[in-house]
Amino acid sequence: MKTKKLKKNVNLLLFCLPAFIVYALFKLYPAVSGVYYSMTDWNGLSRAFQFVGLANFTKLFSDDTFWHSVAFTAEYVLALVVFANVLALLLAVAIESRHHFRGTFRTLFYMPNMISMVIGGYMWMFIYTKVLYYLADNWGWKFLDHSWTGDPRYSFWSILTVSCWGVVGYLMIIYIAGLQGVPNDLKEAAELDGANGWQRFWNVTVPMIRPALTICIFWTLNSGFQVFDVIYTLTGGGPGDATQSVAINIYEEAFKGNTRFGYATAKSTVLFIIVTLVTLLQLTLMRRQEDEL
Amino acid sequence: MRKKHISVGYIIVDILLIIGLLAWLFPLFMALLNSFKTDGELFTNILSFTATPSFENYVRAFTKMQYDKSIWNTILLAGLSVTLIVVLSSVAGWALCRTKSKLSSALLNLFVFSMLIPFSSIMVPLYKIVISMHLKNSLVGLSFIYAGLGVSMAIFLYHGFVKGIPYEIEEAAAVDGCNKLQTFIFVVFPLLKPITATIVITNVLWVWNDFLLPLIVISNRDKYTLLLSTNTLFGQYSNDWTGILSALILSAIPVIVFYAFFQKQILKGISDGALKG
Repeated sequence: MKTKKLKKNVNLLLFCLPAFIVYALFKLYPAVSGVYYSMTDWNGLSRAFQFVGLANFTKLFSDDTFWHSVAFTAEYVLALVVFANVLALLLAVAIESRHHFRGTFRTLFYMPNMISMVIGGYMWMFIYTKVLYYLADNWGWKFLDHSWTGDPRYSFWSILTVSCWGVVGYLMIIYIAGLQGVPNDLKEAAELDGANGWQRFWNVTVPMIRPALTICIFWTLNSGFQVFDVIYTLTGGGPGDATQSVAINIYEEAFKGNTRFGYATAKSTVLFIIVTLVTLLQLTLMRRQEDEL
Repeated sequence: MRKKHISVGYIIVDILLIIGLLAWLFPLFMALLNSFKTDGELFTNILSFTATPSFENYVRAFTKMQYDKSIWNTILLAGLSVTLIVVLSSVAGWALCRTKSKLSSALLNLFVFSMLIPFSSIMVPLYKIVISMHLKNSLVGLSFIYAGLGVSMAIFLYHGFVKGIPYEIEEAAAVDGCNKLQTFIFVVFPLLKPITATIVITNVLWVWNDFLLPLIVISNRDKYTLLLSTNTLFGQYSNDWTGILSALILSAIPVIVFYAFFQKQILKGISDGALKG
């Protein structure tokens, strides 16, 4: 019995080994060693570095630029979760209620999600810096006459618009799948009981698409915290560091001029802790609510 | 059956959807429209169609971004990465599903849990590994990194799919004299086709559209992916809008074509992955 069990596990290890090697090398080891480097003064170049304990983290506490990027990312994530999900759900409900062209709407609204946000970001850059100015000048639409990517007051919303444009299609597909899972007789029963459209949506549809809601919010949270491409293309984090997300901040710290790798890994560790706590909290809360239904 | 009556509300929603769709596709449309204009035309009338469409911008963009070279690099990278992901994780996901032991559930949990780790958290130490393993500027090396980052999700999906395949088929193969590996290659793997298709498509798109990892690993102009070369164009010639827009269209074309062919699988892959996973 023992040898059979052993053989089973040896077989398992053999089959998993190739996948495990690349995984361990390029994901697990960086994650673990990152925590170690965050407690050193390693500069990325020299072989010699010192163990400095929590010094990087104490320094990080008074690093205003970093906390500014954390605050910016938090605001961004919050706005993205709300706007992208509301818009995606609205679209999903509207498209699902059509008698014709459902497939066409779905296909076309999803399209921006296909192209990289680097390309999307630069396309929007053209809209923000050229097309909107043209409209302001030639059509007299003066409300468009702003520095949409250069002025931090507006660039937050410019960035958010492009991000929503990029993710809404994806969320919409998940919501549509959720909506298709709502049995029609449930809605009809509610209709017979005299519930109006809004009541049917709120009391029948929404509880039934709870799993889709959980997944979509989880996904927006997780990808929102890592926002890089859109900001990199639209503002580069500027002016100054006004629109720096945490990912941009870490990138600049490690790869642009500064080579305080130890310090950059301390930032990475903090980001990891934040993302894990927030997403686990969200999943636990929303799953619990699902169970109560 | 839903009643099919047309009300005022229905028509209003129709109109809103169409306006919304036009706004949604506006950036793509503006890029396409203006990519055929001369610089002068672009600035005098940005919204109109051009009377004399010219492909000159495309020729210029093609050469400046070394389109042929970068598209080849991207195909190579995506092809290698996805092959690695499929080969490595199909066999691992199958073995993890078919072996009931503490070790197997511990391994699966390890793979699954790490999906939560954000890429920006590991990119700095990952860069150190890239340097020390001499993988900087290596597309092959980069594809192994993509495999390392991608196997967790793929193993998770394969593991879930194998659960639905009757074990008797494998037992029958064993009776016929297949060893474990043969059983997998000739009997199990063909049965995994639907999930393999999903994994191939989602991972091709992921690698194709990923920007930050190549930005860190690749600095040699000859090894640039499509996105990296599009990006340099923007930095170097930032006033040449007609050229830039052509470049953007050129880099968007492959994914749009891909979408046209695999639309159904892509959309199905998303909803399956999200709601069943």
